[in-house]
Amino acid sequence: MTKHRFAALLASTFLASAATAATLDIAVDTAPAGLDPHLITAFNSVLIVQGNIYQGLTDIDPGLAVQPGLATSWDISEDGLTYTFHLASGVTFHDGSTFDAEDAAASLRRVQSPETASPLASRISPVVGIEVVDPLTLKLTLDAPFAPLLSSLAGIAMVPAEMETDKEALQMAPDGTGPFKFADWTPNGYIALEAFDGYRDGKPQIDEVKFHFVPEAATRQIGLVSGEYDMLPAVDPATALQLQGQPGVTLEQTRDLAYTLIGMNVTDPALADPKVREAVNLLLNRDEIIAGALFGAGVPAGPLSPALTEWALPTSDFSCYTPDVDKAKALIAESGVALPIKLRMVVLPRQDAKDIAQIAQQQLAAGGIEVELINQEIGDFVQSWKNSDFGMFVSANGGNPDPDQYFYRTFYTGGSTNVFKYSDARVDDLLDTGRNKTDMAERKAAYDELQVKLACEGPIAHIAYANLTTAVGPKLHGFVIHPMGRLSSLKDAVLDD
Amino acid sequence: MRRNRLLSFAIGLVALQVLVALLAPWLGFQDPFRQVMVQRIKPPNALNLLGTDQLGRDVLARIVYGYRTSLMTCTASVALALVLGGSIGMIAAYTRGWFDRIVMRLMDVLFAFPILLLAIGVIAIIGPNLWSAALAIAVVYTPIFARLLRGPALVICESEYVLGAKAVGASDARIILTHILPNLVSVILVQTSLLLSAAILVEASLSFLGLGAQPPVPSLGLMLSEGRNFLLLAPWPAIFSGLAILFLSFGFNLLGDALRDTLDPRMRSVAGVRA
Amino acid sequence: MTPKFLLGRLIDLAFVMFGVSILVFLMIRLIPGDAVMIMLGANTEITPDRVAELEHRLGLDLPMPVQYAHWIGGALRGDFGTSIWTGRPVTEEIASAIGPTFELTFLAVLVGAGLSIPIGAFMAQARGRGAEVAVRVGAIAGLTIPSFWLGIVSILFVSKLMPGVSMLGYVPFSEDPLGNLQRMVLPVFALCLPMLANLSRLVRSAMLDALGQDYIRTAKAKGAGRRRVVYRHALRNALIPFVTSVGVSVGYLLGGAIVVEQVFAIPGLGRLVLGAISERNYPLVQATILTVTFAFVLVNFIVDLLYATIDPRVTR
Repeated sequence: MTKHRFAALLASTFLASAATAATLDIAVDTAPAGLDPHLITAFNSVLIVQGNIYQGLTDIDPGLAVQPGLATSWDISEDGLTYTFHLASGVTFHDGSTFDAEDAAASLRRVQSPETASPLASRISPVVGIEVVDPLTLKLTLDAPFAPLLSSLAGIAMVPAEMETDKEALQMAPDGTGPFKFADWTPNGYIALEAFDGYRDGKPQIDEVKFHFVPEAATRQIGLVSGEYDMLPAVDPATALQLQGQPGVTLEQTRDLAYTLIGMNVTDPALADPKVREAVNLLLNRDEIIAGALFGAGVPAGPLSPALTEWALPTSDFSCYTPDVDKAKALIAESGVALPIKLRMVVLPRQDAKDIAQIAQQQLAAGGIEVELINQEIGDFVQSWKNSDFGMFVSANGGNPDPDQYFYRTFYTGGSTNVFKYSDARVDDLLDTGRNKTDMAERKAAYDELQVKLACEGPIAHIAYANLTTAVGPKLHGFVIHPMGRLSSLKDAVLDD
Repeated sequence: MRRNRLLSFAIGLVALQVLVALLAPWLGFQDPFRQVMVQRIKPPNALNLLGTDQLGRDVLARIVYGYRTSLMTCTASVALALVLGGSIGMIAAYTRGWFDRIVMRLMDVLFAFPILLLAIGVIAIIGPNLWSAALAIAVVYTPIFARLLRGPALVICESEYVLGAKAVGASDARIILTHILPNLVSVILVQTSLLLSAAILVEASLSFLGLGAQPPVPSLGLMLSEGRNFLLLAPWPAIFSGLAILFLSFGFNLLGDALRDTLDPRMRSVAGVRA
Repeated sequence: MTPKFLLGRLIDLAFVMFGVSILVFLMIRLIPGDAVMIMLGANTEITPDRVAELEHRLGLDLPMPVQYAHWIGGALRGDFGTSIWTGRPVTEEIASAIGPTFELTFLAVLVGAGLSIPIGAFMAQARGRGAEVAVRVGAIAGLTIPSFWLGIVSILFVSKLMPGVSMLGYVPFSEDPLGNLQRMVLPVFALCLPMLANLSRLVRSAMLDALGQDYIRTAKAKGAGRRRVVYRHALRNALIPFVTSVGVSVGYLLGGAIVVEQVFAIPGLGRLVLGAISERNYPLVQATILTVTFAFVLVNFIVDLLYATIDPRVTR
């Protein structure tokens, strides 16, 4: 081959554009391990399926209010023990079959079945009776009033009835009622969804949505700026900062439900004392951490996200949120715990968590708490977390729209994610009240008291709610960011050629 | 003459970097751990000659201390591999027979793994930190040293003075230490230098993948790894740490290369080793 | 090449693969944090029942030697088990990831080895002190540039220079040949540079040696063209170290591909194995590492045979 012909080939190679009409290219960092909506918990898996492939009986809007989903309306009995759902008619699954109450009942049973081992099971644990009244009516009976039920149901995907006995099929081949249906999956490459003709509100305008798995942050950023990708969902603060002002890039922001936290093991002799835990809170300067690790893109976190406007108390209500080294030292002296306090702090392998750990290490040192940072790989971290093998840990948690969903499992004595071994009779009482009363005022009073108590002497020092930022390229219009990270607005979005 | 000049240059380049790293605490660099939040991701300026990183730490100081980290771990790991692999290679060549066959096949098993993959496996077992990266590199380089030294050792074992020493009843240990080892010095010097160069890259790759040094340790690979998240806004930590890795690895490689020419011009065709 | 030599090498190969299989099997199980914990994940309900149920389903409740025997028995029959996350046969997962890595490595060898001959030959013509130093410095720099750094910097550079050019990810050659090659340019460059530097130097020194040999002078005196002389005779001379070096390089390329695939978002074996290790996907890790090492061992086996063909003295 002559030099000229080679050069010509090279040039044509570079100039050929691979863009196909109306494909939305989204870059995310990791591939999901599976797509079964009743098994997955990873943010990136949920991002792909929730609201795109699957829908729930209810829906949560960007303002975190409960809206109708596949159930168009519902009635709740006086005692709060019976819920009757009226389902939308004419809804079809991607396989062509019709959605009815049998499918809904089977989906809920599938989540509750111990064989499925679904992590969502606890969200509907009070449901003891599932009854199909007629093809479009479903009745649920509870053993105790359970206020968070409606918001919980938004996260439980409706699948075809025959999946109740099939535990494997949905991992690789999802089948839901959402606006997009599963098309193709190249492991470590991408997952492609295509517009569903039979969607009940009409076929979406975007023909195809591709989730590319791009492990390198730098590669994702450059890819968005150069137009290779149209969207980076839920980017970290450092990425947001860099993409700010890049030509053609818009940053959609909202307050995140997820938060960063420092967990404390109350079986540690020093941390067992509530005074020491309060001293930790007094030593932490949340504003400085937010400025440093999150580039200012966040707010100090109380136990509940300010996105939960009906519930969350402002952090000014928490006395220990004003950093005060002297007061912290005094509290530790009062507790009788000898200085220096030495602790192992395990760190979630994520850049913001690593940065928070480095800053917190310096802040805690001022009060005589010497922290050794243990950076672990995710597998190790989960192991340490699960086995309570830590003095402290830095991590991030996804949030929930109802306080009960997070508080109960985390702070109740013996709660399923109470890895801190925290146990407090008053807290348990308040948690029961919040769960079993449907009266809003009663619940609110209980959660107010809980927040104040947990903020300063609970086993978790809540650090920050970051901004949830999604970076969008110039081609995409009509995308609305959702505080839970969902991409459900894509069904109404438009893509330029 | 020209060879000597190249060798002097290589020695100078390596010595400069090693000295700066060794003497860093006394050379007036800033504290590589000190975070100044108002000074985050600043471009190079009079106060911070190479700019600051995402926590407002001085990039120059972190690079200098990163040299310390790199040199410390890589020297330790290559030394360990040299002692282990070298002994295995020499003893295998000296004893021949079943020991040679079995041990060298075991070395083949280790050698069959791509370097990075074996290192990742070792680190996954003992948990990611600086010293497990060092141990991983040592494990990876042991079979390489064993193979590299067995060949020349075989030739020496066949030589008349070793056969002669055996004939007069010298002990095995004595023969290996006083007759075989000294004759391998030039090979060892050259290969150690080349493998150090490669080890620096492997350590950097491991830290880049999050498997080596962990924050807040100043490490060149880690700086590059953390810095790449800020590439659009603040490319300097990533670019300067990348260059530092290049210079360090380059220095040792050039040194090995020049040593090879000087000590034994016939060794030229040995392939360079790299991750 | 004698049958005895061939047989001996085959036995060595089998031994090495057997050793690798044991090592891989033990290695992945020594890693703390097992598959069950990771599958259950943080922030979910973990009960002893669920743990036991999953362990049983994955066959992790059996004694280790039994697990190994099951695995190796299946592997010898071509059944490597199923991926514990997706439930797909491991062979299927590897088959879908092997293409990109094979293409990447193959192109890197092709470009690295192919370009090294003209570049080495060209460098051999450049004599004198300045050229000598430049060649050496250039070659060593090529050998010691961290490939991940080069990858990232080149993405940044090209995106500034030619915005809108697709250079990330992977499309199969069969679907879009141009798109495929276009995306391969940068990763192949980043991956093959060290090999190219190394081989060019090797070719150059072999050429310089050859040019000084008697038979080349004779050939020249006989009137053969200069270029033909250099290529025919010198290259034959350089063949053995060249082939050995290519064989060894394949191992490094397979390792280097892990990092390059990460940077350029290529769905190959490197990413498959990294992901599989972090999710403790035992069957997948075992089979992938076995595949990669087998490829490496096989290439070197072929190199040995070539070696023996080129230089029959090796087989003694």
